[in-house]
Amino acid sequence: MTRYVINRLVQIVVILFMILTILFVLFRLAPGDPVARMVDPNMTPEDAARLIAQLGLDLPIWRQYLTYLGNCLTGNFGHSFHYGLPVLEIIGQRLPNTILLFSTGVLLSAVAGIAWGKLAAWNKGKATDLWLTVASLITHTLFLPWLALLLIWVFGYKLDWFPINGMISDEVWLDPDSGVLLKAWDVAYHMILPLGTLFIMHFGAYLLVMRSSMLETLKEDYIITARAKGLTEKAIRNHHAAPNAWLPVVTSVGLSLAFSINGGALTETVFSWPGIGRELVFAVSQNDYPLAQASFLLVASVVLISNLVVDVLYAYLDPRIRY
Amino acid sequence: MALLEVNHLSIGYQTAKGLLRAVDDVSFAVDAGQSLGLVGESGCGKTTIGMALMGLLPPNGSIVGGNVVLDGQDLSGLDEADLRQRRWRDIAMIFQAAMNALNPVQRVGEQIVEAILTHKPELEREEALHQVEGLYQLVGLPVGRMHDFPHQYSGGMKQRAVIAMALALNPKVIIADEPTTALDVIVQDQILKETKELQKEFNIAIIFISHDISIVSEVCEMIGVMYAGQMVERGTTREVLGQPRHPYTQALLNSFPALGGPRRPLRPIPGEPPLLIGRRFGCRFCDRCPVPASSCKLEPPELVQVGETHFVRCDNV
Repeated sequence: MTRYVINRLVQIVVILFMILTILFVLFRLAPGDPVARMVDPNMTPEDAARLIAQLGLDLPIWRQYLTYLGNCLTGNFGHSFHYGLPVLEIIGQRLPNTILLFSTGVLLSAVAGIAWGKLAAWNKGKATDLWLTVASLITHTLFLPWLALLLIWVFGYKLDWFPINGMISDEVWLDPDSGVLLKAWDVAYHMILPLGTLFIMHFGAYLLVMRSSMLETLKEDYIITARAKGLTEKAIRNHHAAPNAWLPVVTSVGLSLAFSINGGALTETVFSWPGIGRELVFAVSQNDYPLAQASFLLVASVVLISNLVVDVLYAYLDPRIRY
Repeated sequence: MALLEVNHLSIGYQTAKGLLRAVDDVSFAVDAGQSLGLVGESGCGKTTIGMALMGLLPPNGSIVGGNVVLDGQDLSGLDEADLRQRRWRDIAMIFQAAMNALNPVQRVGEQIVEAILTHKPELEREEALHQVEGLYQLVGLPVGRMHDFPHQYSGGMKQRAVIAMALALNPKVIIADEPTTALDVIVQDQILKETKELQKEFNIAIIFISHDISIVSEVCEMIGVMYAGQMVERGTTREVLGQPRHPYTQALLNSFPALGGPRRPLRPIPGEPPLLIGRRFGCRFCDRCPVPASSCKLEPPELVQVGETHFVRCDNV
């Protein structure tokens, strides 16, 4: 197992190196001149040239590439053009917000999806199954911004139950008397609508995967064995069918966690959630190259590492899999 | 009165094309320590009988006639909760291990512990584990392998584990459904011998389901030959193999090689069994029978007694 993980880590490093190279090429092919927004029209051509030389953009392309690699390896991703702050600092601020929202969302919808999928498969063909399946199909095919706006309109605007955007209320966080609990509650309160959106969008996928996997499992011979042993239906469902059925669901949960880091741009934008997805879109639209580059690299690393985590987790859930 | 009596049992499956009578008017009895072999080709209803004895027919299957009496109690009258408590404790089953009878993500010993604790919830886990150790020794499995997963076992070991599981609660009856079909002949022979010894030791009645009449004849004192849902011939192994009276039994014996005796060409049985949906007239074997009488097509033959314990469902005897 250790050997396998080490092998995979080496692979990940190689792939990251390739991604770094592709990013380098991509950003030099991209339209738009990054220097243009820094160069003041009042500057003399000499000043402009000096600025370009300072940025190293007058050097031959391979020198730029080596400098770029060296910087990436030492964790120097430069300063954001827009914020003027180190890129790592911005990412460090945004990333936890994204992780908080999306891992909560994915885990909640996975837990519900697995439980309901189990229920649907167990009651195949009955009303419970029909309602759950139809509900999953409908919610999973909704257009996310539409759903998000609908929730904001109904629960945020019409009923005025929840805040319509942001992550914190200034009056709570600026008040020196607010305790940690109150602050946490404030964040949770802001999270309800975006979390609701993510939950409604995603539980259906897990439910359907779990349901079909469970139906396959229920045909297996060991289910007959379990029944013959005189186990209760509940024991058969929870100890024999479900542990075999949720293996494929684990894969899909792991991959959604990975892709939610960037795939959450829509949700984050609609709810003005200060996360990395929204920052990435913003960075690209603003030609904020250092920030965009680092964000892409982050997304790639998260996808690679999640894949590894899923593979390792699989070995724990399914004893037949050994590396 | 025998330990297990099956009286005029009929079982139907509800299908899109109508009721399929998988088992039709089957009767037999087995005593403690005895074994009965149910023989016949695939689809003849032998596994369906096994499942009905366990109370495990699929949702579209049901007993449409007759009953099953174990130890004087009619099992068909029991509700699901009672039936569940009796499963494995009274009637256990040896499955064909090659067919994934063990849960792949649970440790083998754990699966046996589970059977014990389900029926004896008062036991401590330690005690149940200890019993499993005993069972492993009984079936010749190394105790150290208790905590392995099924995929780490060889075919023969899995089969032994499945046998250990069947013995866990000291059942009165064990149904062995094709228990050695997937094993090579050497392992098959060992396991059959050991099963036989265990049967004697614990005085268990075994119903041995197989398509292989030669294996059944080695293991069982009594044989019931099934064809298209009916038991066409039944008697002691000596009676059925010594003087096979039904043309199907004769054909079945001719389609297997005999170890002793003169060499002779094997004769397969031409044709295939009839569909079991809808009304049927006459004898079910009629179309494949080498010696049909004129009456066969009209009236279904009755079960006729031809020896002390020998019964045949054929008009020609």
